[in-house]
Amino acid sequence: MNTNNSRCIAAVVKARSLREHRPANGSAGMQGGGRVRSRSLSVTMRRSAMTLQNNMAKNQRGEAAPSSRMTGRERQMGGFSLLLESSDDEGPEEVTFEDSKADARRSMKRALDTARREKELLKEKRRKRQELFQEQKKRKLLSAEVLEEIDSTKQEQSHVKAAEEEAEPEEVEGRKRNWKQNAARNLKGNYTVTTVKQSTLASSQLKAAEDFLHSRMYGPGSRRTTSNEMLSLENKMGKNKSAAVQFVKKNWACQKKAKAEKLKKTWIHMQQIPSS
Amino acid sequence: NLNVPKARNRKIQMGEFKVHRIRFFDYMPSAIRAMAFSTRTERLALARADGALEIFNFSDNYFQEKVLPGHDGRAVEALCWVGPRLFSAGLNGEITEYDLENLRPRYTVDAYGGPIWTIGVNSQGTLLAVGCEDGTVKMFEVLKERIQFQRNLDRQRGRIISLSWHPSGTLIAAGMMDMIRIFDAETGRATHRLVVDRGAGASKSKEVVVWSIAFLSDYTIISSDSAGKVQIWDGLNGTLIRTHLITKWDVLALSVSQDESSLVAGTSEGTVVQFQFLSSTVDRLDKDWVRTRTFKNHSHDVRALAHTETAVVSGGMDTQLVVRPLLDKVEKNTRESAIRKVSFPHRSLVCCAKKAGVLLFQFPDHLELWRLGESDGYGKPGGSLPVKRGPEKLIQLKRKGEDHICCSALSPCGGWLAYSTVTSFRLYRLLNGSISICKVSKLPKDLRPAHQLCFSTDSSKLFASSSNSSVVVVALNEPECKYLGTLKAKYGCRQPVHLLSASENGKWLATANTDCEVHVYNLDKLKLHCTVPVYGSCPTAMAIHPTTSNLVVVHADQQIFEYSLVKKEYTEWSRRLQKQGLHSLWLERDTPITHVTFNPKNPAHIIVQDLFMFCIIDKSLPLPEAKNVLYNQMTLRSLPEPDRVLHSHGFKICKDFQHLLCVSLLEDHSLVVVERPLLDIVSQLPAPVRQKKFAT
Repeated sequence: MNTNNSRCIAAVVKARSLREHRPANGSAGMQGGGRVRSRSLSVTMRRSAMTLQNNMAKNQRGEAAPSSRMTGRERQMGGFSLLLESSDDEGPEEVTFEDSKADARRSMKRALDTARREKELLKEKRRKRQELFQEQKKRKLLSAEVLEEIDSTKQEQSHVKAAEEEAEPEEVEGRKRNWKQNAARNLKGNYTVTTVKQSTLASSQLKAAEDFLHSRMYGPGSRRTTSNEMLSLENKMGKNKSAAVQFVKKNWACQKKAKAEKLKKTWIHMQQIPSS
Repeated sequence: NLNVPKARNRKIQMGEFKVHRIRFFDYMPSAIRAMAFSTRTERLALARADGALEIFNFSDNYFQEKVLPGHDGRAVEALCWVGPRLFSAGLNGEITEYDLENLRPRYTVDAYGGPIWTIGVNSQGTLLAVGCEDGTVKMFEVLKERIQFQRNLDRQRGRIISLSWHPSGTLIAAGMMDMIRIFDAETGRATHRLVVDRGAGASKSKEVVVWSIAFLSDYTIISSDSAGKVQIWDGLNGTLIRTHLITKWDVLALSVSQDESSLVAGTSEGTVVQFQFLSSTVDRLDKDWVRTRTFKNHSHDVRALAHTETAVVSGGMDTQLVVRPLLDKVEKNTRESAIRKVSFPHRSLVCCAKKAGVLLFQFPDHLELWRLGESDGYGKPGGSLPVKRGPEKLIQLKRKGEDHICCSALSPCGGWLAYSTVTSFRLYRLLNGSISICKVSKLPKDLRPAHQLCFSTDSSKLFASSSNSSVVVVALNEPECKYLGTLKAKYGCRQPVHLLSASENGKWLATANTDCEVHVYNLDKLKLHCTVPVYGSCPTAMAIHPTTSNLVVVHADQQIFEYSLVKKEYTEWSRRLQKQGLHSLWLERDTPITHVTFNPKNPAHIIVQDLFMFCIIDKSLPLPEAKNVLYNQMTLRSLPEPDRVLHSHGFKICKDFQHLLCVSLLEDHSLVVVERPLLDIVSQLPAPVRQKKFAT
């Protein structure tokens, strides 16, 4: 028994030296939670060791152990604690459990708070973006909407007015003006607007199928260029290198050219009048 | 838009010609959408994006025999021959059978499945399967005069884009989005599902479309999809055997040869890739589909393919039909091995009023009337003359209804205009120098929609071709036109008349139909005068000489015949020409003559025109022999005068104007040349794919 005890103590001392941060509080003999493998220890000693270990572990975790309990245990193994304290090099800091508990609580709360704040910030950002997109979409769809409304019933005339008022001031000025003009022209008198040929289900399905084909062949991701560019490349790479197709844009300033032609004709006419 | 009169000075019995060079005919062909070849009849049926159908006779120098005008909203997606019958299916949800003798749809059947993407007939010719937008494959029984709905196969989720029957008629392979389904044709159940991989990279998020599919007799399935792959599957087990990535864009069309030893795939790049079933070793045991040739004959997407026994026929968004003979099936360096491109129609779309100097342009949806410009003075040969008054567009007449214009005509005096669609016929009176137009409302009821129209030279009669090769004659009068009679051909002529020619003295009318039959009628008696002996090739142009009353007929194989109507026999010149034979370069031309006219100043002249040249045939000069140079006009000009007589021959060919749509001689002896440069058409085509080339 004695050899066992001494072996236990030696083991405990060894264990203690390995764990630097363990406050030496309690008996030396029965420490070293788990590492001490001694079957011959008495139950009471083991129990006390376990409680000591628990207390030490609790202390490490910063959990509050009722001081009364502690003191009770300390009284039980008063002798042990004295032994430990005397062989310790560095004394632990005097931190009460409440303090450390409060500290820990505060830090956790801070962490949770920041996380929550960040989440809320992100949410706010996302929400603002979504709103912006919806607004833009509404702005785009607005004109089509208005067209449809005009198309269906007479009552919609008032809706048109309301829609126009609702329209954002950033809306394209020209479009708005056009709309105002059109609205002003069309809203006089009693009439209904309908399509000449009723679009049937077949024609709408045909349109949808053609749209599908068009989007697969010419839609986004189809990597296409223009015929002009293709021909220009051929000109560039061919045997007889020549300029790009439609190098000079022949249909530029059509109206100006027509105006100039007219002016020329009138000038010639004017020249001929005094002579005749 | 040039109308630059030019003077051409050819001293050798040609005289001077002032040339009106017309480039303001904005003819724009329509993209080729689908094709079907009938091996039995050697005919290729072609469907264009505007709904027009064309029939080409591959055994007659690829002549465009018949043209069925389009229809708004027909949107043909697929064609199918069932024996001699032609069926089409379109995005309007209807299956149409065509009457090829009357050049119109016979009937349409609504499939009630939404837009139809594909059509296929089983090898027995008894069942027609169509693939619809709603995911059903519908089976129709082919009956004698119609088709009848039989049943639907198992409905799938997703549209059926392509389908192919197994030669036994028991299985159908259908290409859909992201997968291929194999159906049992008898039970209608879908037995296998073959999953097609999507493309890599950006295309991974897009569904892959199986554009085309082929089912071979050894149960191999070949599919082509929008990820650029041609995949070979085992149809019995439903497993993938091999994948060939042939392009970065879509592979839109597939066609397998009759003996299943070769297949071709058409891509969006404009290439056609051939695969052949070959074995890598000498013994024939381990045969495999190996990629062999690549043809790049198109600048835009290839959307339709047909694999005949000796050639690969392709067509697509660049509107040109290309026939590429395969050099292992034909003899090299012969006329048969040359590549053929059909870019323009084989019939005239321009009508010239010779007395009035007015041109009529026929578009599918409208007609345009233009007055030619004027110029004074003379110039050097080959130089341009100053234009005193430019050409002006007088009238643009839009057609009524949804059918496209089939044929149109303008009277020589410029006072009458007529056009016909498959459902209606309209006649207009033009007044005040062809500026104002008014419709003639009271038409005789016998005047039904016509395939070909022609006015008499004195503008007193209108001839309209009708069914069974007959011609309706109508007298033109101001308030009401009177029906004069119907010229009937001999019994048994069923094919439509595609050529009509009236003589200048008003006595004769010649008709030609697609069965190569040429009939001549006596207009005084309104009876059949004679039938020209049938020649094996289809006539492409003909005209009656004003003074000698000789009928000149040019055929699709480039042969020329001259037939005397008075004596009812071939003329001496024609016999001499046949005996000597035409020059080999003349016979090798690959575009048919579309117009024949005469020179009032010189009765020995015949002016013929095809797409790349016009030729003045001088019957008084010797015929070119085989050893002579055919295109000798340039060399002759460089020779001194006395030598020219020695070297000249009767075929004077001018190639200065290209892509000719019409060459005509006006009353004031000026030549009208209507050109349509191919570049103008190509620059208006839709977007081709962007190819990255080094150093650009």
